[in-house]
Amino acid sequence: MNTGQPAADEESVLADISGMLAKLLDEYGLDDIEIGMRTTFNRDLELESIDLVTLAGLLEERYGGRVNFAEFLADMEFDEIIELTVGRLVEHVVQSLKAAEAS
Amino acid sequence: MAMLDTGDIRLHVQRLTPRDGRPATATAVLIHGLLTDSLASYYFTVAPAFAASGIDVIMYDLRGHGRSGRPDSGYTVDRQVDDLDALLDRLAVTGPVHLVGNSFGGTVAFGYAARRPERVASISVIESEPATQAWAAKLGGILGRVVSQLAHNEADALAWITANRSQNTARLAKGAARLARTTTIARDIPASTVLTDDQIRSVSCPVLAVYGGDSDLAEQAQWLESLLPDCRTVVVPGHEHSVLVEASGVVGGHILDLIHGRQAVLG
Repeated sequence: MNTGQPAADEESVLADISGMLAKLLDEYGLDDIEIGMRTTFNRDLELESIDLVTLAGLLEERYGGRVNFAEFLADMEFDEIIELTVGRLVEHVVQSLKAAEAS
Repeated sequence: MAMLDTGDIRLHVQRLTPRDGRPATATAVLIHGLLTDSLASYYFTVAPAFAASGIDVIMYDLRGHGRSGRPDSGYTVDRQVDDLDALLDRLAVTGPVHLVGNSFGGTVAFGYAARRPERVASISVIESEPATQAWAAKLGGILGRVVSQLAHNEADALAWITANRSQNTARLAKGAARLARTTTIARDIPASTVLTDDQIRSVSCPVLAVYGGDSDLAEQAQWLESLLPDCRTVVVPGHEHSVLVEASGVVGGHILDLIHGRQAVLG
């Protein structure tokens, strides 16, 4: 995982988030799952909702108050959360970081 | 991840506070339901809006659930009330708190208010009821069936859930199965101390009780209103037991009205 200042581009954010997910999956002994933009949290990674709470904490550690994962998910319908892809989260993080830079 | 050791159990706690360092106007503690539930049911639904409205929001995983410790035994309502009391002590929360409880979490909230009335400003329960003889008998039946089905054929039960429900449900069911199989939870909960009608009547703080219109529990509404001195019930049509997650905007709005209204009175 990149430990420097977070960059607001898709590639860096995907690398960051893949690192966080690898950390989460490692707890389940799943350390060889390939993660890309189309990977779904639920079907592909089989993450439970409580895992997403842990991910929210990792996102906050990395991006501080600029990204609010809880609010992002709270605005979604239940079905949308089930279908959520890594790519959609990456886009949200990139947008949030750009918005923070601009303000 | 914030782990808090009460001395008896390690509890996973999450806290959302108002943005920009604004001081909170109230503290709410959100308690989730049994077996397949965790604090995530609040974290990704009503909690962000509660914090945005100026509330210090405390969520925790009940023992055995989510990321909290899973001891072999000690799952009665009384023990859950002990955990909540210890949690508030450890977090140094001094003023009265607004309790929110979903399903079994509401039963814990009623138990807490009966034991520590001075620490409770209001109670909002969703699809819930206080611990009574009838409640204990019903939970005993439900938990007994869960355990016996799992004992007979866990693999088949889980395969059926995966095929007929979502993958998410199957994953959660696996966790619930482990809890039911490896601990005394199914025996402990029906053995909880129940409240008498007088003890329930003694809960004098404002109570909001929300039910799904299509849920069996909706018939509790009238009984609770008749028993509690200050109780309002809301039935949300078209929903069953998962009304908190499925209609979180509506449910959260009612809870916020109660908390902010009560806080205006308390000052």
